Amino acid sequence: MVTRSGTAGMKAKKKKRQDDFQKVKLKVGKTKPKANNATNTNFRTKGIHLSEQLRRDTSGPTTHRQLGINDLLSQLHHYNANVKQSALLGLKELLSLNPSLVEQHLSRLLSEVAALFTDKDGNVRMAASRLLRFIAQCVPAERVAPFFPLLSAHLSCAMTHIEPGIQEDAMKILDVLLDHYPALLAARPAILLTNFLELISHRRTSGGAKKPQETKGRSWALSVNPTRAVTSQQWRLTVLLRLGRFLQAVVEERPEEEGDMSVSSDGVFGSSGEGRITPLDLNWEELSYSKTGVKVYEHSGAKPTPHSTYRLRPEVDSGAGVGEGLSSAEAVQSFAATLVPLLLEMWVEASANDCPWNSGEGAHLLTPDAMSVMFQVLTILQLLRKLAPQKEDQDALDAWFRNEYLGDFKQHFMKNFPYGTRDTPKHKKKLDLKRSKQTAAVPGQTVEPLALNITLCQVMVFLSQRQGLGRDNDADWLIPLRSFVRDTLANEVKLSYKHLHMLLGTVWRMVLTQRSKTVTEDLLAAVYVYYQQRNLTLQTRSLLLSFYSKLYLQEQGHTHIARSKMLCRWLAALPVQLAQLGHRNPALSARLILSIQAAASRGNKDLLNGLQTHACRLYDPQEGVVVLLPAESQQRLVQLLYFLPKMSQALLANLSRCCTAGRISAGLAASLIRIVHLRSSLSGWSVGSQEAALQDVDYISFLFSSLTGFSADELATLQEAGDDSVLAPSPLSPLSLYPTPLEQFTHHWDVVEEVCHCLETLGSQSQCFDILQNGICKYLTRLGVVPDSMAAGLLRAVARLLDLSILPIDPVLRFLSQCCLSLLALLITLQQEAPSDTNHKREAIWGACVSALSTIPRLLRMVLQSLRVGDLCEEELPQLGQILSMLLQHTPLRNHLMANAALLQHIIQDLTRYSRGETREQWLTDLLYCYSVTVAHGSTTHRGNMGLRDMY
Amino acid sequence: MAAPMEVIVSSDSGSQLWNCAVSELHSGSSLLSYRGGNTACRGLALLGSDYILGAQLGKNFINVWELQRKDQLQQKIVCPGVVTCLTAAPNGLYLAAGIAEAVYLWEVSSGNLLAVLSRHYQDLTCLRFTDDSSHFVSGGKDNLALVWSLASVVQLDLNHTPEPRHVLSRHSLPITDLHCGLMGPQARVATASLDQTVKLWELSSGELLLSVLFDVGIMSVTLDPCEYFLFCGGSDGNIFQVSLCSQSLSRDKAFQSDNDGNQVFKGHRNLVTCLSVSMDGTLLLSGSHDETVRLWDVQSKQSIRCISHKGAVTNAVITPAPANMFLPDSRPAAALPRFSRHLHTSEGEGGESGGVCVRPGLFTQDEDETHLQKAERLYSLMNAVTDKAVFGDGENTKVRVAELEEEVQTLKKINKDLYDFSSQLLTKPT
Repeated sequence: MVTRSGTAGMKAKKKKRQDDFQKVKLKVGKTKPKANNATNTNFRTKGIHLSEQLRRDTSGPTTHRQLGINDLLSQLHHYNANVKQSALLGLKELLSLNPSLVEQHLSRLLSEVAALFTDKDGNVRMAASRLLRFIAQCVPAERVAPFFPLLSAHLSCAMTHIEPGIQEDAMKILDVLLDHYPALLAARPAILLTNFLELISHRRTSGGAKKPQETKGRSWALSVNPTRAVTSQQWRLTVLLRLGRFLQAVVEERPEEEGDMSVSSDGVFGSSGEGRITPLDLNWEELSYSKTGVKVYEHSGAKPTPHSTYRLRPEVDSGAGVGEGLSSAEAVQSFAATLVPLLLEMWVEASANDCPWNSGEGAHLLTPDAMSVMFQVLTILQLLRKLAPQKEDQDALDAWFRNEYLGDFKQHFMKNFPYGTRDTPKHKKKLDLKRSKQTAAVPGQTVEPLALNITLCQVMVFLSQRQGLGRDNDADWLIPLRSFVRDTLANEVKLSYKHLHMLLGTVWRMVLTQRSKTVTEDLLAAVYVYYQQRNLTLQTRSLLLSFYSKLYLQEQGHTHIARSKMLCRWLAALPVQLAQLGHRNPALSARLILSIQAAASRGNKDLLNGLQTHACRLYDPQEGVVVLLPAESQQRLVQLLYFLPKMSQALLANLSRCCTAGRISAGLAASLIRIVHLRSSLSGWSVGSQEAALQDVDYISFLFSSLTGFSADELATLQEAGDDSVLAPSPLSPLSLYPTPLEQFTHHWDVVEEVCHCLETLGSQSQCFDILQNGICKYLTRLGVVPDSMAAGLLRAVARLLDLSILPIDPVLRFLSQCCLSLLALLITLQQEAPSDTNHKREAIWGACVSALSTIPRLLRMVLQSLRVGDLCEEELPQLGQILSMLLQHTPLRNHLMANAALLQHIIQDLTRYSRGETREQWLTDLLYCYSVTVAHGSTTHRGNMGLRDMY
Repeated sequence: MAAPMEVIVSSDSGSQLWNCAVSELHSGSSLLSYRGGNTACRGLALLGSDYILGAQLGKNFINVWELQRKDQLQQKIVCPGVVTCLTAAPNGLYLAAGIAEAVYLWEVSSGNLLAVLSRHYQDLTCLRFTDDSSHFVSGGKDNLALVWSLASVVQLDLNHTPEPRHVLSRHSLPITDLHCGLMGPQARVATASLDQTVKLWELSSGELLLSVLFDVGIMSVTLDPCEYFLFCGGSDGNIFQVSLCSQSLSRDKAFQSDNDGNQVFKGHRNLVTCLSVSMDGTLLLSGSHDETVRLWDVQSKQSIRCISHKGAVTNAVITPAPANMFLPDSRPAAALPRFSRHLHTSEGEGGESGGVCVRPGLFTQDEDETHLQKAERLYSLMNAVTDKAVFGDGENTKVRVAELEEEVQTLKKINKDLYDFSSQLLTKPT
């Protein structure tokens, strides 16, 4: 072929020039010659797939089957159930690997998944609900909120579907939504409630012949669907469970309308009863340094606050029916009117199913299934009651329930009242197993008879009305309830927290509505038996405590509560319990103290007696609770002191030790002293007829021992202590000082300031000082070892209390002068050590010495007289010099020093004589300079001070 | 018209010469003093502009003076027990006293004891009305302050025991003083207590707004009229000022080298038992157990004046001077009736009709018809007129019209006379 074309090529080239425009001859029967530019098509191609690369940069991550989110979502519309199911599984996989996709495609995801709630295939629905659960786990409620109408529409669709399977699966979807978005569901309850009703019943057609006993509300009847996989009883149970949870969500979403009022009537004593506004808690110190700003008035108080309890007259009601949800009392009532007959029917059916041989004695024994249906019925009744939007509506609703259904409830619920489980015979076990397998999907299968009974109590007890309204016929059904409650509590049955809470709520309601003394005593005694058990958990214990204390706070207007012996016994036992509890459980102690405080402030005699007898133990400085508990409880305990009718000497001694021992803060010690002051007859603040709790003598001795800060025993041991702990006496420091630790010193100093303030305000200062100096003379002058804090405190007190008209007696003066001199010597040594942390101590000591010296001129003279330079050893001379120059430099003392000029001159002469150093030392130079300045100053003002001498 | 004059009314526990003294606010000159006995703490009350009342210290009666007759006791109201606190409604219609643990509420016009409220468990310490007299607050030694609505307390149904509107129960020691702000039911209430706190509450909701903890027990509290500042008198003699709307916290901080102490009024040496702020909020009055009353300038926190007393100061108030105080010839608009000691029962007052007999000025009216009866009479009269007008003949109507016109003329004349007479009375200088 190549050769032929080669030979032809030459010819063709030649021809080409003229052949260009030659006509091609086409003839019939001959094949058409190929054109020169014809494409040779006899090759084959092969594709190269780089799918991963391509996908990655176009449409995001994929599953292991390389399907992106768009593919998966579009597959959800596929006609084949398997494809849909695998797409759902794929979506779940994809989303769990890439959580960010959920955010991006939330709207499409939800709408597509929701559309599958009503899919015909069970597996698809199952997968859809799983995917929904997964999405719900990672998307918060506020982001789902815009799509929620869609979701709930599909949910309603599924719930009302004709196919039983879809209805059943709708329950699972509802579970998911209840778990994650209860608030959103509860926001629009109207349609869902109707759906619930339709799940278990059907609307009566109005055309049918009505039986005469059927009243107006009963247009619904329980339905039975034989095609279901489960028995109708179990089906109803599943529906009821969801309905219960749904109503619970609605109740929880209700904004709290009435804070405290509903607490008191509901008996929710577990709650703390705090207000709705969080108050601003400030402290004066922070405030005065402007660390915190106060902004109390929003919009400058021009408008009433939203919390105001004054209400304008409500606007005209928009005609709200069931369709408008549960926002009005009428709506709740009409919903209840539809639901309650159904519930009753279910109850009857459950109890009848259960006992085919129903013949008296076994009637109260139930199978677990029946039990759980009944339990759910009761739970929903309870929730219905709580649905009332406002407190006053609730009362109305209770009354309505009573009017409508009391007879029915009595007949059905109370007939076999304390219910129990029936022991299933052995041979039935196999069957049971099968059944339990079958119904494993239904949670909450096992309901204890106790829970059932307690719930029944609670439902029934709210139907009881206040005695004295003319109807006393409640007794017949209240008595079994009461005896059940009493027996349960008194027999020390193990109760869970929730059950106990419900039981106490029942007791609360009975006590408040029955208003009878015997009932109250009876029930409270049972609670008390329970309370006295040893091994209760903290939560239970505090629940019981708050039950009692709330009950006690209710006593106003309820004489049967106020006079209850059990309550009194409980109150009287509180202080003992507090003392016994010690520091083991501060939280419980705090609760106890709160209860005690409430009763004490009301002046409850029993409690105060108890408190009085155990006061010494509570306020023991070593192991009393007042030093063991945390600061807040300490403060409350200190405040309790105010209410003590009498303070014994022993108690005061304890208190004074508490103040000085440093185990309570200085501020608290100060407020303790102030409270004792207020309760003495000397405080001057007395409104009304309150007797002083303590005698003046005791009060003053309390102040004196707080002032000294050390007990007699401690001082005695100090006297005998070795030299290692105290500073040895020397001619310069005639007393041997015991250096108290810095912390104790400051604490003691604060206490001293407070005691001084109390002493100052007692009245006559001269008498007060007399007492003080007698005390010093009697107890302290013989001491050889004195703690420095005590010495400084005494000087401070003397200086504050004394005015010029009083002359202290000699032994006291001598003791004080010794204190003063020793302190000054200590000050010098402290200055040499000069750690800056003793600054406060140094200032305090110096201040005390100087103020004492300047208020009592004779003290100064005595100090100067006791300075015998000849007795000092050499290294003490500079110390003395420093003391003197410090005194000389202090201007307020200058005049007094000049009055003792001769004495001073003598000392200085001695000093110069005895310091035999060749070179004049610095301290001496300083001293002489100070002295000369003082003398020079003194001579100019001498005339003015002539009168000063007369004082000596 | 000139600004109303403000006066200081103060009393103490020890003075022999007089019970309570009135002096001018700005000059300090002593104006009046009322004699007889001594007044207990928080036991002084001005009743309208006619009377001044003081609860006798340690005794079970209340002294009453007419404002213009300073020397003579008008009467003594004998009470069932020692009066611990006393207050009068600002509109002068009600009087409330704390006796032991009960609040006694009297109607001033009739002297009836309207209610005895024993909700407190211990002695009362203070009582205050709101400025519109619609509510009152009581504080006691049981740590509670109770807010009462006057309307719910004053009711005829005796079987129904009145309940307080709110129970303010966050204090842990006895309440020593309380102050009601302005704005009626929207007011704020400040309570002081021995537990070293001052708390500010909202009256309308009973919620706690603010709690300030001090180093000492607080014996007295007041707010200035704008409620910018809270003044708290401590048991150590200091008066603390808390600013309630601190705005420019950081701006002026640099200039104040010593922030501490510039919010404290220092001067008293003992419990500060009473505080009061002048109408313009610039002056603060304080009375203390150190037997002095001090007047402070709020802005600079200096003591302007110190008035010594003979005993612990029990009351010190700045109040606008009532007109009658300085007119010796004036007489009270209404005489004070006898105050009854026992609860007024409706049987006593011929209970034929369930209606209330409202008589604001007892002595200006003498007929005993109730409003219902009057209304009935008026109604029958009107009916009679219309009956006649509609069904009567023409001539009769003319006569009737003439009669009525004549009556209108006479009425107009009477009215004019009245007007002339009163304008003459008013314009004539006294």
